[in-house]
Amino acid sequence: MQHPISGRQLAATLLALGLTAGAGAHAADGSGAPTSLSSDLSRSLSVSGFGTVGLVHSSERHADFTSSVLKNNGAGASERWSADVDTRLGLQLDLALSKRWSAVLQVVSEQDLDNSYRPRVEWANIKYQATPELALRIGRMALPMFLAAEYRKVGYVYPWVRPPVEGYGALPFTSSDGVDANYHWRLGTVHNVSQVFYGHADVALQAPLRAYGRRIAGLANTSDWGALSLRASLIEAEATSAIGGQLFDALAAFGPAGSALASRYAIDHKRISVASLGLNYDPGRWFAMAEASRTRSRSLLGATRSVYASAGWRQGAFTPYLSWSRVRAASPTADPGLPLDGLAPALAGQAAALNGALAGMLATIPQQTSTSAGLRWDLHTDMAAKLQYDRVTPQGGSRGTLINQTPGFASGRTTHVVSVALDFVY
Amino acid sequence: MGCAKLFRHAAAMLVRRVLLPALLLGPGMPAMAAELVVIVSAKSPVTALRADQVAAIFLGQSARFPDGVEAVPLDQPLGAPLRDAFYLRVTNKTPPLLKAWWSKMVFTGRGQPPAEAADSTAVRRRVADHPDMLGYIDRAALDPSVRAVLVVQ
Repeated sequence: MQHPISGRQLAATLLALGLTAGAGAHAADGSGAPTSLSSDLSRSLSVSGFGTVGLVHSSERHADFTSSVLKNNGAGASERWSADVDTRLGLQLDLALSKRWSAVLQVVSEQDLDNSYRPRVEWANIKYQATPELALRIGRMALPMFLAAEYRKVGYVYPWVRPPVEGYGALPFTSSDGVDANYHWRLGTVHNVSQVFYGHADVALQAPLRAYGRRIAGLANTSDWGALSLRASLIEAEATSAIGGQLFDALAAFGPAGSALASRYAIDHKRISVASLGLNYDPGRWFAMAEASRTRSRSLLGATRSVYASAGWRQGAFTPYLSWSRVRAASPTADPGLPLDGLAPALAGQAAALNGALAGMLATIPQQTSTSAGLRWDLHTDMAAKLQYDRVTPQGGSRGTLINQTPGFASGRTTHVVSVALDFVY
Repeated sequence: MGCAKLFRHAAAMLVRRVLLPALLLGPGMPAMAAELVVIVSAKSPVTALRADQVAAIFLGQSARFPDGVEAVPLDQPLGAPLRDAFYLRVTNKTPPLLKAWWSKMVFTGRGQPPAEAADSTAVRRRVADHPDMLGYIDRAALDPSVRAVLVVQ
């Protein structure tokens, strides 16, 4: 997913899409209501987008608080106040080619692991609406995970400044290239959408590292019954990345014990799976939601279980809300490493250093609890301001979802995070 | 901008954006006096719909009438009081919640909001000509070219 593209490529793509739309097409006005396909309008191009301007302060001085593992830095150790945690801009072009065929391109600019804001293609797919119930898509699309993973970048859509980092922040893959089918079906007054997905992903980490997801298979179902929405999803993939490659090569040089450690923890054709079950009740005046998920992998990514619950009340334009969120490791977060007994002092020193490096990697398996309180203020029908306070506590020797920790970092210490954000859609 | 001016501006904003909507949407206060009717073409076989069926079609959850025929919703313009009243009564969504709903649909590739017509007369004319369309108008704009399938109180 998310191949970085140059500005020139982006401009060329946008231009090509614009030309394809042809003389008969028209761009939607800025009212935020893109002209939709109707029975007597065969072609239309709508331009829409979303964005967030955010500023975050963290009390932790020895690590950065940020919103995703795909970020270079955040608030805390790198900067007291960071605008990089939540700020982003997205542009989407929807092209209706006929009653059945349509195409979508979504480009998002936000801080990445290389500390650049190079726009990435998040979505680029062609949809064939075979019947009003069945849609088939090919191209790049969001992975069907969690309640909010597909729209996690569109801050205006959800009440918080960002989805709970304990579940959402650890996802390295958010979209992928493949095919999917969405089927709408009804059971009495319950509206369901079932989705099956198959594809692959290739995401750039800190250069030259990359992460590959092959044979990604996903299954999701959303059931809406009045104000109640229930979503279940399951994703499986085979992941490969050279993360920790030097460490694993060095471990393997220590014979069978080292090789065993390398094959246990290297992300080398490892099956990973993510399952989640989420519930959202939103009758309008208030909302409550909860979601539980688990990830599994026999690698340095580890296995985790996460859960969050959130509720809020809408008072006119104000929505105060409270959230609680937790992630726990479901696999060992410590490993005895290489046996040092019987090694020559020089080799024992090297082996101890490698064991230390391995322990450092396992400490990145997130274990953390957060409680949050916030206020959303709908300034306008397409703009909302948010203020949020998070009390974030990494636990059990883990750094939690924090990044860039320095030697002074201590797990178990609570970080106080204050965020302000302005979300808009256009 | 001076401090006093800034404060006045903020206070005006608070009244306009918060207190007034809160009063208007408060319980027991009718948001709109006009009676709304949901309509189909007189040529359509549909005779009655429930509010949840209308809501599903206007929110993009269903693309068919209960009898299985394809349904195309037609909206009043953005900002029209009739539109805000319709969505509040039929879907429990205020304009910001409706905007959030469609932002979710659009930015996940699940659909686009309904097309719009200028006012009740324009909606009635287009619905009358298209048996697959579903619209809502002020009851006063009803005529024999369309059939009311739901009265929204």
